[in-house]
Amino acid sequence: MAILSQLLQVLVSGDFWQLALRDGALLALPALGGVLSERSGVTNIAMEGMMLTGAFFSVVAALSFHNPWMAVIVAMLAGGAMALIHAFISIRFRADQIISGFAINIAAVGLTTFLNAKLSNFRGLQQVDPSGRLPTINVPLLDNIPFLGQVFFQQNIIVYVSLALLAIANLVLFRTRLGLRLRAVGEHPEAADTAGINVYRLRYGAVIMSGLLSGLAGAFLAIGIANIFNDNMTSGRGYIALAAMIFGKWTPWGAFVACMIFGVGDALAASTGVINVPQYFLQMVPYVLALVVLAGLVGRSTPPAADGIPYTPGGE
Amino acid sequence: MTASTAPARPESEAAATSPWVERLRRVGRALALPAGSVVLAFLIGAVLIALAGGDPLASYEALACGGFGISCFGGETPALQISNTIEFITPLLMAGLAVGVAFRAGLFNIGVQGQLILGAIFATIVGLRLASLPGVILIPLLMLAGVVGGALWAGIVGVLKAFTGAHEVVTTIMLNYVAYNLLNYLLINGPMQAPNSSQISLPVGQNAQLPTLIPQEGLFFGQPGGAYHASIGIFIALAAAGVYAFLMRRTALGYEIRAVGQSQRAARYAGISVRRTIIVTMLISGAFAGLTGGLMIAGGSLHYLYADLKFDTTGFDAIAVSLLGQNVAIGVVLSAILFGALHAGGLVMQSDVQISSHIVEILQAVILFSLAANFLRSLKLRLPSLGREPAKPDGMEAAQAALQAEVGSTAAAEGDGRA
Repeated sequence: MAILSQLLQVLVSGDFWQLALRDGALLALPALGGVLSERSGVTNIAMEGMMLTGAFFSVVAALSFHNPWMAVIVAMLAGGAMALIHAFISIRFRADQIISGFAINIAAVGLTTFLNAKLSNFRGLQQVDPSGRLPTINVPLLDNIPFLGQVFFQQNIIVYVSLALLAIANLVLFRTRLGLRLRAVGEHPEAADTAGINVYRLRYGAVIMSGLLSGLAGAFLAIGIANIFNDNMTSGRGYIALAAMIFGKWTPWGAFVACMIFGVGDALAASTGVINVPQYFLQMVPYVLALVVLAGLVGRSTPPAADGIPYTPGGE
Repeated sequence: MTASTAPARPESEAAATSPWVERLRRVGRALALPAGSVVLAFLIGAVLIALAGGDPLASYEALACGGFGISCFGGETPALQISNTIEFITPLLMAGLAVGVAFRAGLFNIGVQGQLILGAIFATIVGLRLASLPGVILIPLLMLAGVVGGALWAGIVGVLKAFTGAHEVVTTIMLNYVAYNLLNYLLINGPMQAPNSSQISLPVGQNAQLPTLIPQEGLFFGQPGGAYHASIGIFIALAAAGVYAFLMRRTALGYEIRAVGQSQRAARYAGISVRRTIIVTMLISGAFAGLTGGLMIAGGSLHYLYADLKFDTTGFDAIAVSLLGQNVAIGVVLSAILFGALHAGGLVMQSDVQISSHIVEILQAVILFSLAANFLRSLKLRLPSLGREPAKPDGMEAAQAALQAEVGSTAAAEGDGRA
């Protein structure tokens, strides 16, 4: 009973939901990237690596330019470059996309730790000073609304960007010709090809988008939340986003709802002082939840039909 | 790479009767792709080292010294370097087999790290609780506990996959994080933390430790015996590779695993229970992973459980080991030796020439890329049709043209082979 009342106390606090939304919006970026990539038919487990690369280069850029926007651009380009490698190897060379994606993740760990050691003489890069950090924006007037103001209108700028991108992506994917084409390429590339759609171009575009979005998420993490780079600092968030994408049945808003579940899990784990359960059990909650949800999704979560299958013109 | 077999082509009719030539040719073909991938990785690595302001040659000399005890110019003891390498090879080989058996059934087990952590936890508990038993009984029990822990963790994945279709890539990753948190719970001010220490358990007793290859007393090659940590665990891992080869090639279960890996539908028509095979495969994979954890406790240089085991990357490195070894026992052994040497050598390289040992991860990634993309075959296929971009289909006509180009270039490539 004590635990229930402690839980209740946490669930009604604005701090809790502010944190949950921040972490949910952070995860939503790579998850959205995954949705776009896999809707086009390219399996993508590389969000983790693209995010890590983005995080590293955002810090390097923030330290040299003292400007968060330059850092965001550099981070997105870095994530996009990693995505381009994945796209090139998956599409051009028709590689096993899971192995290619996994290799991206290893390459990102190797590259960032290698460069981190090189640039800082094995000491680790220094902290990003306030001039290089992504700002928190308090929306005037609205931020004074009790509870809701704190949760929705006192957030880092990337939280708003993330929500806007979700809405735009949803619109593009389901309400425009481009979106229809993208989905066609992921479901039945032969038919799309016959109809005159350029399968390869759409797939390259979608995979690179996933890299840009994951790079942005890396920048958010590194210069919006942590303000420093630590080796391997994404610590599996890209993989969580991957799971969110699947729970969300490859739709932007579905993925966002799943990301919010993980965000709530993160926020719960951060409230160990209040809830009297061993900290590490709280931190298990999102992962166990993911397993339970996955197990419950019997036959209801179906990927795009051509997801993961390299396209060969004319068939083989 | 296949060019080496090309001159022998005209004799192939005569050679067809000689199984040895045929076998050699098969070995050559099997080795071409992995060997080419490794060479490519080293070339790219050299470029990166040069870009970072290092000397590639000196770096690779240090790498070879740390890995194989050759070209040691910094006063290192070659025998000690080899002992260090063996220490790295043992878990990589064991974990590589764990990944390999799953791959053979078409399953991608990214959860070996979590499974080996569970194995290490179970093994440590047995090692500590039954410390009074003699070694001949305690060590097998400890290994068995490791096997059970790993198999349990992987079994969850198998059951979920078989009955709900939950993708093993996601479930294994989730279970990794549950395992990390379990480890944290047990060791960070938790029930297994040793008194007056932080984030580590008590060490298992002498009875639970595997003997080392070199006696711990006396001087060997100018170094005290205690400096050599490599244990007879390497023989256990090699024996496991033997079991793996036997399982895959000589048993009905091995046949079923391979059949499911080739085509689930065909396997089903052949009367194989795909569900059962998936679960059994994951249990075996987890057993190998759990044994890795047991070997780390009983045969590593530390004989206790530590919370930083969650930052250990054996379970992930094992994926590269298995893929490079083409998921066959002998291949996994060879690539475990290579990666063990790279990891041990990377440390020497970092201290001798100040090139971060993380270059090893980059090499690993390049090897994976080129294996996955099969660059070598692709190059051979595409060279004659350069300029004709098969990536630009505009309707069926272009598709037909691309197909023609593809067929033409294949024929051309075969023609090259005969010339």
